[in-house]
Amino acid sequence: MNINKPNLSRRDFFKAGSIIVGGITVATALTPFDGLLFATEPPKGKGKWYGIGIDINKCIGCGNCAKACKLENNVPKDPFYFRSWVEQYTIKNDGSVLVESPNGGIDGFKQSVPDEEIFKSFFVPKMCNHCAKSPCVQVCPVGATFETPEGIVLVDENYCIGCRYCVQACPYGCRFINPEKGTAEKCTLCIHRLDKGMQPACFEMCPTEARIFGDLNDPGSKINYFLKNHTCMVIKPNLNTGSKLFYNALSPEVR
Amino acid sequence: MPQHIKRLIGAFAVVIILFLVLQSFLRPTSFGKLGHYRADAIQENKMKALHFAGSDKCTKCHEEMKTDKEVGFHAQLQCEACHGPGLKHAMYADKFKDGELPDSLLLHKPGSRKECAVCHQLNAARVKIVFDTINNSMIKQIDPMKHNLVDKRNFAKLVCIECHNPHQP
Repeated sequence: MNINKPNLSRRDFFKAGSIIVGGITVATALTPFDGLLFATEPPKGKGKWYGIGIDINKCIGCGNCAKACKLENNVPKDPFYFRSWVEQYTIKNDGSVLVESPNGGIDGFKQSVPDEEIFKSFFVPKMCNHCAKSPCVQVCPVGATFETPEGIVLVDENYCIGCRYCVQACPYGCRFINPEKGTAEKCTLCIHRLDKGMQPACFEMCPTEARIFGDLNDPGSKINYFLKNHTCMVIKPNLNTGSKLFYNALSPEVR
Repeated sequence: MPQHIKRLIGAFAVVIILFLVLQSFLRPTSFGKLGHYRADAIQENKMKALHFAGSDKCTKCHEEMKTDKEVGFHAQLQCEACHGPGLKHAMYADKFKDGELPDSLLLHKPGSRKECAVCHQLNAARVKIVFDTINNSMIKQIDPMKHNLVDKRNFAKLVCIECHNPHQP
């Protein structure tokens, strides 16, 4: 078999080399690589784009949200499977931080630190942040988790292979593997209730209206009113997850 | 073109065609419609069963509770927050006459010290700014182990609803 070896001179080599390198440089300069990965982008125009607001000042830690979530979505009753739960943060006088969440707050909280030692204490209800740049969506190897055009992060139960990658990727600890189905599970923002014009269970059962949700695209919505009138923060803003769960009166100790 | 290159191209073509044929069979039809996922999964998530009915459904039959509750401190509290999910109860309520609803469909009536303490137990984190805009009040807090404890032996019997009306506390 004949194989023709090209007889390159040094000049030809440099010529070809400089064309390739120069071409790549010019092409990169013309269309720079857009490094930010969006699972989905907010709809332009009329589409809905859901956001959540939680007022820590109003939360009394009754755990109704956690309880309602478990009942509405058939979440396993064991005390370590939660789609929505409440944590009590206690900052002591010596500066140490104690985080408690007995059964996610469903059975109520008991103050474990005497009043004299407490600098401040507050409840933080937690749930899926429904991030726009969700780390959990980006790592799924089979496309079983995704963000709907309305901005709700969902799991496709029939497609999930239960690899637990998303459970590790979520910086907020909002996912778990359902022990019966073997698939990933998470807050769906009660999309089955939204579809019928109802509020998600945790929002409906909150006795103090500490939880607010609505359409961020609608200037007159409850959530936009909440964001305008409160100084809101997301948890772990440094991770650039595009979180859409906004907390009023969030302390930097909360993680 | 040398023969081994031709063979290689042929082999690649066969593998790629085989891949495309297999993919067209294995790939769900709605995959990729809206993004890198099955678009039908949104509908599947929407089809899940409801459990909570909402206070509007409750007050259709229990009208007196609505007027009772409206003026009390628990005005903002939803019925099902204490009584539990009641969609089944509401669905079957029309089919049975008054007082004939089977036990399995009856809703829970809380009122013990443990149940009320979920919200009203004394806790440093619970001293909050005024949230009840209707009554302009803060949440009342007690220590259920000490509050109005006349006789320690009767602790279990001394339930909150004995003295307090939960709909108009």
